[in-house]
Amino acid sequence: MAKRIQSITTFTPTATADTTALVDATYVSIVQGGSATQRVNIIEVYQGGQAGASSPTFMLLSRDTTVAVTVSQSTGGTDAPLDAATAALAAPALVGSTATTDPQRSATAHLLNLSFNAFGGIVRWVAAPGEEISTVGNTQPLGEVSLSAFTGGTAGLMGAHIVYEPL
Amino acid sequence: MGSLRRHEGYLLIDNRESPGVSDAMLHTVWPPLPPGAGCGMFEAPTITCSHCQRVVILNPLRTRDRAYCPKCDHYLCDACGVVLIQSGTCRPFAQIIDEAMEKAVKGADNG
Repeated sequence: MAKRIQSITTFTPTATADTTALVDATYVSIVQGGSATQRVNIIEVYQGGQAGASSPTFMLLSRDTTVAVTVSQSTGGTDAPLDAATAALAAPALVGSTATTDPQRSATAHLLNLSFNAFGGIVRWVAAPGEEISTVGNTQPLGEVSLSAFTGGTAGLMGAHIVYEPL
Repeated sequence: MGSLRRHEGYLLIDNRESPGVSDAMLHTVWPPLPPGAGCGMFEAPTITCSHCQRVVILNPLRTRDRAYCPKCDHYLCDACGVVLIQSGTCRPFAQIIDEAMEKAVKGADNG
């Protein structure tokens, strides 16, 4: 379909254990299918540290065992197409970091460890074409992926983006 | 048949301008990062496990063989490699997605 970018300019993650509700506006985003059959590919993840002191930050891209309900953007969060000519989908994928029912990270389906020091650190992961992480549908266990901070360290101020493509 | 390197993604962890993260701290998080990944500039190829979609960071210092599935012609994570040896069954994630979508469509039809 069309690639899109979910970004958040600046926020401080809250270190949260697995299978515990993430707190609004303290994680990068979830990516959830817009319908029961929609598939979404995650192509790229970027994190840039903005902290003013040493902040080992343990970020995890993971599937969720509780999916978010009624998702919206937090302050500084945006979702935009990469191509200006992109047409709107009838069922857009859900992205954002505020929800009425907050997502919970799976304890057994961590997909990628993106830990870094938010005091000036940078992390970027890009998938090879055809090797993207995908979600399917909008229910657990495959319908949602989140990027959030795991317990430990001292999570620090950061900005981030996720490039994804609903299919 | 193409090289398996065509499946490789890219990971950059750049802590050159930061104090970095010690190996001891990195190892408290699973999946683990290779030793030294939290210091200085770390670049590595990655593979997405064909059977579970976990991203495996290819440690350049690893000497053990990587798990490989000849049926789907992809590298696997170590956990899926063990399952493949024990069961001999290739169940790629693409098949899991197809089954999930078919189930969702049938559910919608029946509902």
